[in-house]
Amino acid sequence: MTTELTSSERTDRTLRLAFPWGIWIRRVILAALVVLVVVAAIKTFTLPAQAPPGELSRYTADTWRSFIIGGLSEGAVLALIALGYSLVYGILRMINFAHGEVFMMGGFASYFVADRFNDNDLLSTNPLVAMVVILAVAIGVSVLVAILLERVCYRPLRNAPRLVPLITAIGASLFLQNTARGFFGPQARGYPQPEFLDGSWNLLGFKIDRIDLVMILVSIVLVAILDYFVSSTRTGRSMRAVALDADIAKLMGIDVDRVIVTTFAIGGMLAGVAGVMFAMRFEQISFTTGFRPGIAAFTAAVLGGIGSIRGAALGALLVGLLRSLGPALLVGFNIPSVFQLEDAITFLVLVFVLLYRPGGLLGSAAAEKL
Amino acid sequence: MPAPLARAWKPALIAAIVVVYISAVGLVEQFAEVFAIGTQVSVARVILLLPLFLAGWVATRPRVERGQRKVLAMPQAALSGAVTGVVGGAMVSVVLLVVDAVGPDTIGEVLIAVSTKLLGIVSFDQSLGTGIVLWLVLGGVVGALGGAVRALSPGARPLVLAGPVTIGVLAILQRVVSTAIKELGFRPDFLYDSKTSGLTWAGGIAAAVLVTLVVVGRDVLRSKPGEAASAAAGPPAAAGTAFGGFSTRQLVQGVIAIVAVLALPWVIGTALSGTVGTVMIFILLGLGLNIVVGFAGLLDLGYVAFFAFGAYATALLTGAQVNTTDGAGDPAFSLGLNFYIAVPFVVLLAAGVGLLIGSPVLRLRGDYLAIVTLGLGEVVSTLVTSKWAEGLVGGPQGMRDITGGDIGPTDFQNNPRHFYYLALVFVLAALYASWRLQYSRVGRAWNAMREDEQVADAMGISTTRYKLLAFATGGAIGSLGGALLAIQLGSLTPRSFDVNVSILALAVVILGGLGSLRGVMVGAFALVGLPGFLREFEEFRPLALGAVIIAIMLLRPQGILPNVRVTEDIADEDRAQDAWARSATSGQPTDEPAVEPA
Repeated sequence: MTTELTSSERTDRTLRLAFPWGIWIRRVILAALVVLVVVAAIKTFTLPAQAPPGELSRYTADTWRSFIIGGLSEGAVLALIALGYSLVYGILRMINFAHGEVFMMGGFASYFVADRFNDNDLLSTNPLVAMVVILAVAIGVSVLVAILLERVCYRPLRNAPRLVPLITAIGASLFLQNTARGFFGPQARGYPQPEFLDGSWNLLGFKIDRIDLVMILVSIVLVAILDYFVSSTRTGRSMRAVALDADIAKLMGIDVDRVIVTTFAIGGMLAGVAGVMFAMRFEQISFTTGFRPGIAAFTAAVLGGIGSIRGAALGALLVGLLRSLGPALLVGFNIPSVFQLEDAITFLVLVFVLLYRPGGLLGSAAAEKL
Repeated sequence: MPAPLARAWKPALIAAIVVVYISAVGLVEQFAEVFAIGTQVSVARVILLLPLFLAGWVATRPRVERGQRKVLAMPQAALSGAVTGVVGGAMVSVVLLVVDAVGPDTIGEVLIAVSTKLLGIVSFDQSLGTGIVLWLVLGGVVGALGGAVRALSPGARPLVLAGPVTIGVLAILQRVVSTAIKELGFRPDFLYDSKTSGLTWAGGIAAAVLVTLVVVGRDVLRSKPGEAASAAAGPPAAAGTAFGGFSTRQLVQGVIAIVAVLALPWVIGTALSGTVGTVMIFILLGLGLNIVVGFAGLLDLGYVAFFAFGAYATALLTGAQVNTTDGAGDPAFSLGLNFYIAVPFVVLLAAGVGLLIGSPVLRLRGDYLAIVTLGLGEVVSTLVTSKWAEGLVGGPQGMRDITGGDIGPTDFQNNPRHFYYLALVFVLAALYASWRLQYSRVGRAWNAMREDEQVADAMGISTTRYKLLAFATGGAIGSLGGALLAIQLGSLTPRSFDVNVSILALAVVILGGLGSLRGVMVGAFALVGLPGFLREFEEFRPLALGAVIIAIMLLRPQGILPNVRVTEDIADEDRAQDAWARSATSGQPTDEPAVEPA
């Protein structure tokens, strides 16, 4: 096994033989990218502090702080979704493309409860009970969808060629999205934000919206619990065993099917929480809500090193910050409506991570075997 | 549990879930006023009962018991199917009772499709009690039919199914067939009821009988001793080679096909010709994607990038205007070329874009490639939608005044019939290119690469080169689709270029069968044409797309009209995997729970 080259190493070699200049092209592209970002940053930071109307002025420190907070709280949601991708990939070596829809379904289903509680004031008079019920509904629906997905779409294809489950996952994503459209209606719904999350706190000079702080804290706690669960409990150990080698794990008496269902359920649980947090933060939810956060979270999982829990959390943090700070850094280039480009930036990051460091930041060497 | 019941409950449960699902998602209500035949058989009722029919069919499938394959005889199969149908009907009835008890309009606050009206439709427009009785009775009848069809001898099945299938096809293609009859100068009243626009009983039954007779007649002819021998011998060599190595029969079939293709827009009318034009655009996208996914095995989810490139490049090269908030303006770059001079440039440039997109992703395989191409496709559609691109391609407002391309009296934008012939030329060119590539040196190299990259590499195939070639060729064909779209609409909006196009193109390729050229055409007509012919279906197209993709991958990964070579490869792979699974788990199917340590 030691002499076997990984796929990317082999392609590298082929590339070197076929295009001796190919490696240099890659290096030049990377260098150009770095230069571009540095120039953009310099231009952005050297804009005049006061500018006549219609022209660009420098962002104030407060604006930058709010970008950072926004990025952190978006990263907190992305982390919870990214863990779902990462856990499933770690065990099945498969991208659960429909995971974004699991997240959307939970959030959407909880809307109806949240809306009812908003109407009868339970959300303001007894927020704790209301939040518990809302989260329970979201988690319940997300877990149900995730388990059904595994049972109906992925289990029969476990030994199929790798592209087959991936194509199925794309179909499942489309199916779930339009199921939500048919069930809950095509229009976006306004999601109520409970009173106790309204307003902001001052923290170390940062003015931070309560909901952002709560989201970040919830996310940190859940990631910590999951990390403990996977590293130290019996179920977590069987999950790691199945991830290493499902056949050997089976021989050791581990019920592989049950471990896989548990993995999907945990992913669904986290996605349900993320669905509620996302919907409360942006105060709306619709059947298309799952797609873009799903891709951004997948990017986060890849950036951190897919299959690794801490990697997914770190990647989500970076992607969240990048999505809020990236367009701001490009403001110096005088691009109109630069904040429309945050999705493009996310995707470009994904492409570049896969090209230059496919294992991710904290990824193991195993992940290099694309 | 008695045997029929033991067989019944699982298919019945799944069928009942499907019935409840299609009701709750809104499909049933959408089709409640669409009549298949007469005034009693609405499409809604057909799709409500179809799951129970299939449950009867599934419940009576042959089973292996103690090493012996047990096939059910007719009375048993019908009984078993009937039990399945009744059980399924009972399960649906329980749901109906629950919905009625809770109150349909209360549920409707969450599941918006559920209402008193829907409850009425699902109870066959009767009171709830009568509806439940009907569910039990009709469920039993339909399930018994399903079981009975299963028990028929394989020779008899086509005879029995020919009639109902004819009625189904005529009902689905009502708009196409009735327009065709009108265009040919007849009145469609004998076949279609002008009020319900469904089939009339007399017309439907007459058509069904006619087709059944044709099927019977063919069988009778075949069963003559002499004819049977020549039919079994494959191509009728005895009939002689009439011309250029083709038999008379092949020539006649060929001429009929050519005449049919050329006459199609004059038969189906203007509006439907437009639909067929759109189908042809998607045939082009499917053919292009088929090269990348079907031939070379590279899953590209960003194929819309080429579609968008083809459309916008055509617009810019032929001197279109960008839409601005105050009217139209010149784009930042524009040439006033003739459409036919512009298209070769567009194709060449698209091949270049293919190389550009292909080269960074060469290192990636399988699922990562899919995600990265998805990302690149999204980058392209985000960019053309952004205000940043406003000066060049109109940003969110898009472009207009795409002219050129008209030769003499033709009018591609306003006359779908003219556009049909232009599209036909493009499609034929792409088909010819795909067909020639398929088994050429390049095609065989792609084939080898798809099956095993390492082995292909070892055999001296430069995988790098052939991957790039696949991206370039696929991109070139896809851009032709974009150029056609630009000419068809005369204007472009970035909304036409979102991720759904990529997924629709992929579904077109998958439904027909990866690598199969006939499959691409069938897939495009089924997925793009059908919603156009059956207008009520439009809203549910994405849902159906998702369901079709899942179903094909689970039940028939080679597609409905598979490419023979790809199918063999898949079968080989299956066999190899089966062997591996057997050796790995020592005779236990992988679904079985693992052995517990004693």
